[in-house]
Amino acid sequence: MATNIQAAVQPSATRPRRGATAPQRVDFLSGNEAAAAAARDIGFHLMGYFPITPSTEVAENLAKMQANGDHEIVMVPGDGEHGAAGICYGAAIGGGRVLNATSSQGLLYALEQLPVQAGTRMPMVLNIATRAVSGPLDIRCDHSDVYFALNTGWIILLARDPQAVYDLNFAAVKIGEHADVRLPVLVAYDGFFTSHQKRRLECFDDAETVRREFLGKPDAPYTALDPRHPVTFGPYMNDPDLINNKQQLSLAMEAARQVIPQVLEELHALTGRLYPVMDAYRMDDADVAVVLLNSAAETAKEVADHLRDSGQKVGVLSPNVLRPFPAAAFRDALTSVRAVVIGDRADSYGADGGNLSLEVRAALQQDEHNRTLVLSRVYGLGGRDFDDTDAAQFFEQATQSAKSQQVAVPFAYHGTYAGDPDQKPPSGLPAIETAEVSRGMARVRENPDTGRLEVELEPLWATTTMPGRIAPGHGACPGCGVFPVLHQVYSVLEGDLVVLFQTGCAMVVTTGYPNTAHRITYIHNLFQNGAATLAGLVEMYHELLRRGELPDSPDITFMMVTGDGGMDIGIGPALGAAHRNHNMIILEYDNQGYMNTGAQLSYATPLGHRTSTSEVGRKRAGKVFHHKDTAQIFASCHLPYVFTASEGYPEDLMRKAAKAQWYAKHEGLVYGKVLSFCPLNWRTTDDAAQSVLQTAVDSCFFPVYEVEKGQTMISYDPDLLGRRRKVSDWLALMGKTKHLMSPDNAENLAAVEAEVDRRWRRLKAMHQHPEL
Amino acid sequence: MNRKTTLPDPSRFFEIRFESIGGLGAHAAGQILARTAVLHMNLNGAHFSSYGSEKKGSVVRSYIRLGGADKPIRTSAPIDSPDVVVVFHTALLEQPITLAGLKSGSTVICNAAAGELPEGLSRVPAGATIVRVDALKIAVEERSRPNAVLLGTLTAALPFLDADTVLTGLNEGFAHHNSEAVAANERAFARGGKEFEVVDHVGQGSEDLPIMRPQPVWGYQTAPIGGVLPLPGNTVWNDLTTSRTGWLPVFNTEECIHCGLCVLVCPDFCLVWSNEGAGTVPALECPDFSLTWSTEGPGEEAPSARLLGVDYRYCKGCLRCIETCPTEAMTREAETPGLADRLQVPLYPEITKRVGGTRGN
Repeated sequence: MATNIQAAVQPSATRPRRGATAPQRVDFLSGNEAAAAAARDIGFHLMGYFPITPSTEVAENLAKMQANGDHEIVMVPGDGEHGAAGICYGAAIGGGRVLNATSSQGLLYALEQLPVQAGTRMPMVLNIATRAVSGPLDIRCDHSDVYFALNTGWIILLARDPQAVYDLNFAAVKIGEHADVRLPVLVAYDGFFTSHQKRRLECFDDAETVRREFLGKPDAPYTALDPRHPVTFGPYMNDPDLINNKQQLSLAMEAARQVIPQVLEELHALTGRLYPVMDAYRMDDADVAVVLLNSAAETAKEVADHLRDSGQKVGVLSPNVLRPFPAAAFRDALTSVRAVVIGDRADSYGADGGNLSLEVRAALQQDEHNRTLVLSRVYGLGGRDFDDTDAAQFFEQATQSAKSQQVAVPFAYHGTYAGDPDQKPPSGLPAIETAEVSRGMARVRENPDTGRLEVELEPLWATTTMPGRIAPGHGACPGCGVFPVLHQVYSVLEGDLVVLFQTGCAMVVTTGYPNTAHRITYIHNLFQNGAATLAGLVEMYHELLRRGELPDSPDITFMMVTGDGGMDIGIGPALGAAHRNHNMIILEYDNQGYMNTGAQLSYATPLGHRTSTSEVGRKRAGKVFHHKDTAQIFASCHLPYVFTASEGYPEDLMRKAAKAQWYAKHEGLVYGKVLSFCPLNWRTTDDAAQSVLQTAVDSCFFPVYEVEKGQTMISYDPDLLGRRRKVSDWLALMGKTKHLMSPDNAENLAAVEAEVDRRWRRLKAMHQHPEL
Repeated sequence: MNRKTTLPDPSRFFEIRFESIGGLGAHAAGQILARTAVLHMNLNGAHFSSYGSEKKGSVVRSYIRLGGADKPIRTSAPIDSPDVVVVFHTALLEQPITLAGLKSGSTVICNAAAGELPEGLSRVPAGATIVRVDALKIAVEERSRPNAVLLGTLTAALPFLDADTVLTGLNEGFAHHNSEAVAANERAFARGGKEFEVVDHVGQGSEDLPIMRPQPVWGYQTAPIGGVLPLPGNTVWNDLTTSRTGWLPVFNTEECIHCGLCVLVCPDFCLVWSNEGAGTVPALECPDFSLTWSTEGPGEEAPSARLLGVDYRYCKGCLRCIETCPTEAMTREAETPGLADRLQVPLYPEITKRVGGTRGN
């Protein structure tokens, strides 16, 4: 038996494919895994990235491979997609090969970098696992993100399945770097349908040879790393020059029309797989056709086969290249087609068709003899499935038009639901009255001698009958620490409260449509923009009050709730709000990673900790830089009140929450960071919260303190109480840090210990000095 | 090893759907089976899972589509009308969608203890095969996971699957685990392939079960604009029962001092309190600073709030209340069928406690 298993564990046999010159092996990979495998085999120099569903797995897979030494791509985690795109741009100016992967909001947040990358002619590859654009937030597939890239000057390749993702990444490098082109290339594949579906595919067995013989060496005409040839990148260029720069870009796009088929033909010779610019399926004598992009086109092919079996002349058109737009290929393919349904997985609102539809119509308009009837349909938004019955309806609508020689409905949404007036989601709970939550659970008074606030708490049992501002029934993991944090804080906050949650676990698990756990007014905007949004609301509130336009308004407290990840990508707007000192609270639940998207590293993740983008393997052991000290960053904003607290020390947190409310009402912005338990991704049992949180504080990894009007006060000093523990005592309690106990990682452990100790000593010095 | 495998009907796909709860390993098992089919059985295959943004403990569906080596897989649609459904958790059988699309001639494999096949199975078409295996018990005994057992049962139930080949794939899937874990999986897999029973006369359905697609409650003519939800707190209608994985906290009223510490750590807001009745709070003696509570100040009077029990509709079984309880008022018990119903203290008595049960108006 053992021998059999051993034999089978070997990678499956190399299968030289007929007509292919490169040896390949069969594998079983998802689209994201295929993108990562291609990156490994291409051997990019650098990847700049930021996690966003559903593209995150590309970086995760590469992190896993990197930990085991399977590639040498430098992986730089951005502070957000805007930063990640900047990292990629900078790296591209250095002349090496650069990769990124993103989706949806990530693409939009990075968007302004895209035309710069194209306009300054810096090739790189960006994989997009396509996903609906917010709002409201939807993580599933559509094409509303990639359509935003149509006007950026990037070449856009479409990968309909994981094999195409793998193959077209190679093509992307070669096309983009071609001397006549020199443009960045985007490879778009369907989020979840392709990014997360595993399929059989073939990978190069000898990547080295393919790299050498197919890709060759990157040959940038200008780089920023050649001081003997100084170059100014990005001059200040107004009229009359910019238009000429743009015509150069346009000519490069025209050149790509020639280069792309050549490269795809070379790839064909190498792999045996051909990606024509226009994939025309059973189109030769087709009377009717549907035009679709990516996975939906594959579904339609199945239906086309069935309809062909019953004698109907139908076909499917789906381009493999979206930029440059294959207008001529569309014209040719549709010459004798009587009616076509063009399906867009994104709308160009108000334009009576999505971008694909509009561009195909424009292409046909160039052919004065063309009589094809065109029906534009918007389908599959936000991940709504497109299955064989949907494809059959598209063929049927085209067939009807062909028969009747008219288009009854030129533009329509497909697959929506009007609703039934008798049906409603489950009813909500009554609004909480101000009096019900104004019960003096914490009494705050200013001590005139010290100038500091003092808090008197009601006994705990008294808070148990406070109406919860969050209802039960939310979908957090068992043992989640975010909800105890919120409960502890909400228990002492008096009166009416309006909250804004940044993107993260607490947001996702409380508001799955059409349900909401929030019993008070709740807002979600973009991942990074919460503090700015809440600042705007706070100022609107005060202005409406001032103008007498909210005559009966209660006194509202405003609080933003964010994870530690939100304080990476959102640190800019948060610091902006802090410097402007709005009357609001920023409450950060710190669980040391992007737990919502699958436990990627955040800057708050400590050195050496395992996350899905800082993996542990033969070559690497966890995150490579120290945790961010966000509380000190906010203390430097000279706010009235900054605090840290632990979910495991409720009384302390509740006192601080009460002070936070007082300061937010009377003096301005408050920032609080609360250590919050995450059993799933810390890899502990669900009921290990107390010991882990306690040891995090006792080891001084997470000091509990406050900075009140600029003065630092340590709330709990384990040294003084004789409770100091070693950092390793804390790390030993979690699966994510178990590896740090091994002698192999002694250096990492010592570095964490030294840094924790240094920060603790510094904090103590501040505590002892009245001016710090 | 690369066996040539022939599917029962090579002209179409053979489709398998795993119905599970996050954390039980359905995604991994589906992936292993499809991967094995592609790499070692000379089949074409696809695998994917569907799950929302909810975390551990929510419903997961895992889809395996198998075809002949030369049959291209083009569709990426979920499996509506499966040849096999594997139910990882019996509570799921209370939701009709779990068995949706099941047809005569297909197979249901259900993880259930002997004699504890749920009523939901009576809807299965009479012409379908029902297989029961106590995957949880075997997994616990072998220190493995239910997915290894169920994979063993599935392999035994499908003649075209070769046990050695699937086991090979299973071992590859856990190649990064230690040898003890691999051996445990092997034992679990082998027992799953032997210790199952084919249950006759349970499926009474006279026709195939209809395909079900989730239908939104609101549509574009009825939903409030902009996606707003003017329904504060309507998650109370959700039922999180299936999030528990074998354990629940049991409230022992005579031990309770009504201190309220459990409320501070309960993530699920499932503890039920009353304002009536009074007692006295003994001083807490907790060794950790984290659990002390100030008894000074204005709150020295006896508590007027009392803990009544747990609403198990919302309890996910994390047991943090037990970890925190300074007395023994909360204890951990294995969740036997019906236990939660017997101990239930509802927060909202108007909501019936049934999985996927009554919806609001």
